[in-house]
Amino acid sequence: MNSAISTILAISLGAIPGALSRYYLTLFFTSRFGTAFPYGTFFINITGAFLMGFFTTLTSKFGISQVVQLLVTVGFLGSYTTFSTYALDTSNVLQARGYKTALLYWLGSPLLGLISIELGILLGRLI
Amino acid sequence: MLQNPVIRAAVAISLGAIGGALSRYYLGLWFNQLLGTGFPYSTLIINISGCFVMGLFTTLLIGALRTISLDTRLLVTTGFLGSYTTFSTYELDTAKLLQQGSLEISLFYWFCSAVLGMVCFQLGVICAKFFQIRNE
Repeated sequence: MNSAISTILAISLGAIPGALSRYYLTLFFTSRFGTAFPYGTFFINITGAFLMGFFTTLTSKFGISQVVQLLVTVGFLGSYTTFSTYALDTSNVLQARGYKTALLYWLGSPLLGLISIELGILLGRLI
Repeated sequence: MLQNPVIRAAVAISLGAIGGALSRYYLGLWFNQLLGTGFPYSTLIINISGCFVMGLFTTLLIGALRTISLDTRLLVTTGFLGSYTTFSTYELDTAKLLQQGSLEISLFYWFCSAVLGMVCFQLGVICAKFFQIRNE
């Protein structure tokens, strides 16, 4: 297959389950824990960062094909995690719960994201 | 089948996600060509521009665009913008910069993304309010 077409297909096929799992997980977290704190986006971004570290380390170790890499990293994980909703959540929390909770979410997300990607890289190296 | 709201939502999000992920990928390639790969400009520009549009669009949704259907909202916000911007690549960029040994640059990228994301989101909100006041 033409490489441009396989690239587009791989990214699209990854993006659909990525975005849908983000949507349904967010709905699940909202029904379980309410809307006071954006647990859904928080959980999604942290786990997505972990998987990104884990998968990219495995990729460089075992030489996974480029199409699968695009499907998982650019397609699935890129769509599963989101930066724009993280900003939207921060703004919503700021209005609803005040600056302390907003600051916790705003700084906590990138901090825990960084820790979990490093953990993912570590786990990938151990395997 | 397309009358079912559950299926409509899933289709709307999927269509938005394909557009978002592909624009992230191709814009990223283009920014890398223009600006080089020494600093992850591409992810930064994509994330902060996505935040701007998210602020703009969600503000318009409570004003000028409030009659827009739920499917279209999901297509643009959860589908397109959610997939266009990415958190995992942002952390991957930071981890890569750290591995290259540039602590200052990686901290700068890590913190600037979060700050500029909020600034651009607020700019989007302000722009939307400005449009709405002019149109009233």
